[in-house]
Amino acid sequence: MIAQIPILIVVIPLISSLFCPLIGLWRRGLCYLWAIFALSLCALASVNTLFAVIANGTIHYRLGGWAPPFGIEYVVDHLNAMMLVIVSVISLIVALYSKRTVEQELPGRVVYFYTVFLLQVTGFLGIVITGDLFNLYVFLEIGSLAGYALIAIGEDGAPLATFRYIVMGTIGACFYLLGIGYIYISTGSLNMADVQQLLPQLYDSRVILTAIAFLLAGLAVKMALFPVHVWLPDAYTKAPSATSALIAPLMTKISLYVMIRVLFTVFKPHLSIELLPITDIMVWAGFVAILGGGIMALAQTDFKRMLCYVVVAEVGYIVGGVGLANTIAIKGAVLHILNDAVMTVGLFTVAGIIMYKTKSHDISDFHGLFKKMPFTMFAFVVGALSIIGVPPTCGFFSKWYLIQGAVIAEHWAFLIALLLSSLISVVLFFRVIEIGYVFQASHGGSTHTTGHAAIIDEAPLSMLIPTIAIALGIILIGVYNQAILSNIIAFAVPKL
Amino acid sequence: MIEFVVSHYNYWAYVGLMVIGFYAMMAKKNLIKKIIGMNIFQSAIILFYISTSVKRGGVTVPILEHAHGGHGAHHAVDIMQYANPLPHVLMLTAIVVMVATLGVAVAVCILIYKRYNTLEEDEIIMSIKRG
Amino acid sequence: MGAGLIYGTLDMPKWGDPHSPASTHVSPYYLHHGLEHTATPNVVTSVLADYRGYDTLGETTVIFTAGMACILLLRRGRSREEKRHD
Repeated sequence: MIAQIPILIVVIPLISSLFCPLIGLWRRGLCYLWAIFALSLCALASVNTLFAVIANGTIHYRLGGWAPPFGIEYVVDHLNAMMLVIVSVISLIVALYSKRTVEQELPGRVVYFYTVFLLQVTGFLGIVITGDLFNLYVFLEIGSLAGYALIAIGEDGAPLATFRYIVMGTIGACFYLLGIGYIYISTGSLNMADVQQLLPQLYDSRVILTAIAFLLAGLAVKMALFPVHVWLPDAYTKAPSATSALIAPLMTKISLYVMIRVLFTVFKPHLSIELLPITDIMVWAGFVAILGGGIMALAQTDFKRMLCYVVVAEVGYIVGGVGLANTIAIKGAVLHILNDAVMTVGLFTVAGIIMYKTKSHDISDFHGLFKKMPFTMFAFVVGALSIIGVPPTCGFFSKWYLIQGAVIAEHWAFLIALLLSSLISVVLFFRVIEIGYVFQASHGGSTHTTGHAAIIDEAPLSMLIPTIAIALGIILIGVYNQAILSNIIAFAVPKL
Repeated sequence: MIEFVVSHYNYWAYVGLMVIGFYAMMAKKNLIKKIIGMNIFQSAIILFYISTSVKRGGVTVPILEHAHGGHGAHHAVDIMQYANPLPHVLMLTAIVVMVATLGVAVAVCILIYKRYNTLEEDEIIMSIKRG
Repeated sequence: MGAGLIYGTLDMPKWGDPHSPASTHVSPYYLHHGLEHTATPNVVTSVLADYRGYDTLGETTVIFTAGMACILLLRRGRSREEKRHD
């Protein structure tokens, strides 16, 4: 059984999503517990895999016993294992958190919501763990289809936002498929390790050049890199709270992971960095994304929309970090994948709690929240400090490594972008904190003039505990970042 | 030169189809036309892959002859006679994915139509702005 | 975009070339050994269901996901209708 764990990580959510409608027919309330059960097993399996990879090195798992390249193979190395843990633990936390919001925002659809939720997690896990290019496309589509459905059931305006996302997302996936097609035509193989061996004699072929271009273009659409990010703000703002808490942190980070795989495992670093100017383009793309995302975020009055633009800026950090192409910058970028996933899920869960209580996610409706919901606001402040980059939260450390990498590469524009974005984040979040904290006096009304302590109208525990857990996680990851770096990320980064 | 064109024209034909589909997705205002464009684009990619599986010189489908009854394992298989099976397999999956995406896209269109009573993108945006 | 794609096709193997990498790297293994490994004369089926059977599982999951997505999108919440009937 232990030897089969790599496949179990993907199969457990898949099979449990098959049973979910049946359980829903029997008793509707059980679906939530069933989803929690399945995701806990899955999270345990992925943590086990992470420790196995740290102890023993890369795990190779052949599906059906066929040797690659004739069959499909799962390759779990350090980068993979870390991503698996990120995806499964965040899905578990969001599933725990989702009970009340789903009942409030989506009455009558609880059963199928959890079914599609589990399918979405299956898709994400399948993308992260596979070592075969076409298999990745299949699971990318599973994840995308589930995501379209989960987003489209949101508030008014969600279907149109989803339609735009469908068109752009399909273009991205089809460009990826085209890229694989060009690689297949010139090498005859679909397995990542096999293609890596076959490619070096083909480096000056135009087919390969076009293949890289289309692969990266498709992934850029999926990860919402600055000019093609237009689907993201509408889709994630109008989605239901539990959906945006699940998809917003994960989808973009998984596409970033695939980009790192394509650049450094399929095409060796020699090609990506020295022969072609890809990495230079990436640093400028990151620069534009950071500043563009930050400026657009300043203009927003809707809290969730502001967070969406923060996500766009964070993608810019990681793309630019990978583009700087020295070891410290890539380590910082990979650490930032972890940190950003945790920060984003923290902030979106806070947004969901506020939506649950006040039925709105507009910033001007945040009055007096610091008195009414102190624990939620604590989680919000921790997340905000992490995005700004204040120690000991995790955001500080990944930004520090990225800054060091920029200095070593002498790329001053990117360095300025990093520092500017911290300033912009300070302005963004302090504006929200100010409205939540300062303006309570004029709107508190009768509850404050009576003199006793303000009524604390906190979120229900099932939503509050996961949020606080994430906030504590942000601090813990920051404190332990050296351990994470030296045990996991140091092996995940290619030797340059 | 002519030989180059003749040996590569299949690829160019499918690239042409892809560009038509892509243009329809981006430039048309009607949501259903966008979906049709998406379908054309994906079908062109599928045809592109399949065109790489054929071999010149009278190839048949990849079903091995003389194979029934357990005798086939003794006959040597001449790979030059059979078309390449792998792109066919990949494209079977891709066709299924295409149909599934089409289904979900049309379901979302149904939701949009119920709410706004129109399927033209600019009319929908105007009715959102009017509030 | 079309120009980029055509630029990429310039170096591609000729249409129908039996010695192209796509036809000589992995496929001969399926054709030579398909019958002895899977006892199926139809090589496409043996690749689809046996060598790359996991992709077929993924494909089935795609259909299931699309079905569940359509149910999630299009089915009215029953609780609303029940309340109307009461």
